[in-house]
Amino acid sequence: MQGDLIMERKQTHRLFSFATLGAIAISLTLAGCAVGPNADIQRARTSLLLAQQDSQVVTYAPAQLREAEQTLDRAERLWNDTGNRIEVAHLSYIAEQQANIAVAKAQESVAEAEARRLADEREQVRLSMRAREAEFANERAREATIRAQEATARAQEATTRAQLIERELTGLHARDTERGLVMTLPEDTWFEYNRAELRPGATHDLYPLVTYLREHPDRTLLIEGYTDNLGSESYNLDLSRFRAGAVQDFLVHNGITSNRIIAYGYGEAHPVASNDTAVGRQQNRRVEIILLLPGQSLTVR
Amino acid sequence: MTGTSAVLRYWIGISLLSGALATGGCSVTRLPEAPTIALAQADMAVHQAEESKAQLYAPTELRIAREKLLSAHEAMNAADSERARHLAEQAIVDAQLAQAKGGARDAQHDAEELRTSVAALRAESVRPIIP
Repeated sequence: MQGDLIMERKQTHRLFSFATLGAIAISLTLAGCAVGPNADIQRARTSLLLAQQDSQVVTYAPAQLREAEQTLDRAERLWNDTGNRIEVAHLSYIAEQQANIAVAKAQESVAEAEARRLADEREQVRLSMRAREAEFANERAREATIRAQEATARAQEATTRAQLIERELTGLHARDTERGLVMTLPEDTWFEYNRAELRPGATHDLYPLVTYLREHPDRTLLIEGYTDNLGSESYNLDLSRFRAGAVQDFLVHNGITSNRIIAYGYGEAHPVASNDTAVGRQQNRRVEIILLLPGQSLTVR
Repeated sequence: MTGTSAVLRYWIGISLLSGALATGGCSVTRLPEAPTIALAQADMAVHQAEESKAQLYAPTELRIAREKLLSAHEAMNAADSERARHLAEQAIVDAQLAQAKGGARDAQHDAEELRTSVAALRAESVRPIIP
C-alpha cells in the first residue's frame, strides 16, 4: 500500500516534470523569445564582420555596409521576436549578399583609383619621355647649327680665298666668257719668236693659276695654241701644239694631274685679229688657257 | 487523483501564460510586402545586371540571379506568394552582387592593363635613343 503510494507519487512527479518541460518548450516555440543563436544569422554576421574589418570597404562602400547591417539587425530582431526561421534565413541571406556587394563595390573603387593613379603615372612617363626626346632633338639641332656655322665659315673662307685667287688670276687678263675663264698668253711675253719654250721670267705669272687649280681640284682646263698664217700650215700646227704642251708641262710639273688638262694646237685656225697687219699677226700668235666652269665637259673646240 | 488534477491545472496555467506571451510580447509586427513589387524590382535588377559587365566578368553570379527570378515567377504563378517574394528579393541582391563583381573585375582588368602599359613605357623610357 505504502509502496503503491510512493509509486504514485513518483509517477505524479514524473508527469509534473514532463508537463513543465513541455509547457516551457511550447511557450518558447510560440513566443520565440530568447531562443538562442540562429545559424543563418551567425553565418551572415561572419561575412558582415569581415567586411566591417576591411578598411577599404569602410572607406569606399559605407552605404552598402550600413544596408547590410540594417538587414541583419532586422533579421536578429525578427528572430528574437518571432523565431520565424524561414523569414530569418531569408533576411540573413539578403544581409550576407549586401555585405558581399559592399566588398565588391569597394574593390571596384580601389581598382578605379589604382587605374587613375596608373593613368597619371603613364602620362608622367610619356611627358618625361617626350621631354627627353625633345632635349635630344635640341642637342642634335644645336650640333647641326654649330656644324652649319662651321661650314658657312669654311665656305666664306674658301670664297674669300677664291676671290683673292681670281683677282690674282686677273693678272693673266682672265676674261669671263661662255667658254669659261679665258686667259690669253701673248707670244711676246711668254715665248721667244718661233720657239715653243716658255720664257723663264714669265712663268711666275702662272703660279697663281697653279695655286687656284690645287685649291679647286674639280676645275679642268683647256690649253689652246694658235699662230698667224706665216709659214707652212703643218709647221704652224706643230708650233701651236708644242706651245700648248709647254704650258701643260709646266702645270703638270707643278702637281696638276694631266687628266684635268687638254692641250691642243690649232695652228692658223681661229684668228682673233687680221693676219694682214703685223699687229694683228702678233695678236694671233698666242696660247689661250680656258678654265672651264664647274660642270663643263672637258672637250676640244 | 487530487495530485493529478493539480498538475493539470498547473499545466493549463503555464500554457495560457505562454499563449499570452506569444500573442502579446513577440507578435509579427511587419506585414509581408506584396510580392509583385519585389518581382518588378527583381526584373529590373536582373535586366540591369545583364546590361552590365557582369555578363563578361560575373556570369555565374548572373546565372544564379536569373534562375532565382525565374523561380520567383513560377512561385507567383503557383500562388505561393511568400516564396515568390523571398526569391524575388534574393534575385535583387544576387543581381546587384553580379553587377558589382562585374564592375570590380572590369576595373581590376583595366588597372592591370595600365600597369603593363606603364611598365612597358618605363622600360622604353630608359632605353637609349637611337637616331
